[in-house]
Amino acid sequence: MAPILAPDRTRSSRQIDRMSTTISHPPPNVRLQLRNQPENISLIRTTLAGVAQAIDLPHETLDDVKTAVTEAANNVVLHAYHGDHDGSLEVDIKIAPSAIAVVVRDEGVGIPTQAQPHDASTLEPGEIDAGSLKLGLPVIAALASRVELHKRPAGGTEVRMEFATGPAPPLDPSPRDGPEIPRIELSTAEHPTELITATTITITPNRLARTVLPRLLCALAARADFCTDRLSDAQLLADAIAAQASQSILGSHLHVGIAIEPRQVELRVGPLPAVRGHGTAVDAVLGELAPIIQRLADDYSLTPVGPASVLALQLSDRR
Amino acid sequence: MALASAPPQRRNASRQSDDSRQLLERWRKYGDRQAHELLVRRFEPLARKLARRYAHTSEPFEDLLQVASLGLLKALERFDPDRQTAFVAFAVPTILGELRRYFRDSSWGVHVPRDLQEQALVVSGAQEQLTNERGRAPTVNELAEYLELPPEQVLDALLAAQAYNPLALDAPAGGTAEREHPVTYLDTLGQADERYELIELDATLATALQNLPARERAIIRLRFIEELSQTEIGQRIGISQMQVSRLLRRSLAQLRTLAQAHSEGP
Repeated sequence: MAPILAPDRTRSSRQIDRMSTTISHPPPNVRLQLRNQPENISLIRTTLAGVAQAIDLPHETLDDVKTAVTEAANNVVLHAYHGDHDGSLEVDIKIAPSAIAVVVRDEGVGIPTQAQPHDASTLEPGEIDAGSLKLGLPVIAALASRVELHKRPAGGTEVRMEFATGPAPPLDPSPRDGPEIPRIELSTAEHPTELITATTITITPNRLARTVLPRLLCALAARADFCTDRLSDAQLLADAIAAQASQSILGSHLHVGIAIEPRQVELRVGPLPAVRGHGTAVDAVLGELAPIIQRLADDYSLTPVGPASVLALQLSDRR
Repeated sequence: MALASAPPQRRNASRQSDDSRQLLERWRKYGDRQAHELLVRRFEPLARKLARRYAHTSEPFEDLLQVASLGLLKALERFDPDRQTAFVAFAVPTILGELRRYFRDSSWGVHVPRDLQEQALVVSGAQEQLTNERGRAPTVNELAEYLELPPEQVLDALLAAQAYNPLALDAPAGGTAEREHPVTYLDTLGQADERYELIELDATLATALQNLPARERAIIRLRFIEELSQTEIGQRIGISQMQVSRLLRRSLAQLRTLAQAHSEGP
């Protein structure tokens, strides 16, 4: 598998570019960067469920959010790239005190409406041309408390949705996080040898990472065709990483890469302090549970990345 | 339980508490069933009120009321009328404790909706069946195919089965309610290798491990020292893989807390 967290100039410069143009402050709590493959929609839904758990979102609200976001994402899968599944599908999730905002973004052909940007809640279904969001938009408009459609200057479309949630409990960042906004990013990177997909996540260690990371890893392990035994092991591993990350991470964002092949999952975690010994780094990530959790992994290794290092863990299902 | 029928009695407060004290003495000292009945009726609204606190959860209110009533009965069993505490002061924590234990023992996080719980049970059943048929734990896709459900839904159900009350608010560090798991599994497990396990593990962890209940410790040993799969552990001690997974997850979270407390301590 390719090094998922190796420096990628193209991507990072593109990301910075994008950040400066389209991302308003504060940054999203969660960012998923995916290919517009149909199966990735369930990753989005899984992530939403993880976020919902972290902020105690009532199940009915979660259902609404899931349904609306699925409609928007489905549109990107089906229409944004003329049926191609190699385009970008980006999802931002932002948690506000009494609302959850989700942006679904693509770099596709754009929504062929007459007037853009447009407040979608005032749109009639007939106002939008065939192809895009034809059925989806009324559904979104019905479920979200606010919807906006935006044409992106660089091409592509952004659907911004907001859902009123009632007062949500604070995200309760660990003391080390300080006042910083917690944030998780997930993106896919492609590699010829990868049969299924590779994924990168950036996480600020907090309660959100604890509820999102295990779900994502399980969803990907399930896609890698793990049996339920090893699926649970993956979950234990993700639990441990999410819980311990705040103690060892360099800076405020934990990057987690997940690449999968059939019956194999590779998890990369960083940036960690650059350390010489093997065991030290593993202990640094896994904390007190290191001796136990190491046994769940088939293998692990350390790769230096700049001034830091990245820990790679392999988990396979040899049945 | 015929608790719901009696209307709350209207008397002045001090009169009622005198009355209650008398009734409590009649019941606790002389086993007067009639007094017991009157007490149950008198405090049923209290149980109802406390049960209502959990009305936002997925549990049906009738079940909650049942549990709260059970708590009331327990309070009536245990109250010592010679002590100077008011019965209500004793009954409230007892009833709340019963409600919390109910949530903990039923092993469901408070927010798991009922249909998901049911689905988790269905998936768990299918999991056991397929494990028996194939001699190994099934994959999510196999379960999905077998149950004719979308894989995502199967995964949701599997994860829902993991949803335990984030470290059971009031879970005792040392003991655990054994209600849903028979104790007999202990008979099937040797005790001899406990020390073995301690040599292999980090000292901090070993200390923390000793604070876990015997069953959880045994499961950790089987998984991490003897390296049995969760399915094998489940078969050996007579619980499902899902339950093994849930217990492991909870134990590791507990261990983590204990180990951290230990390493941060003096």
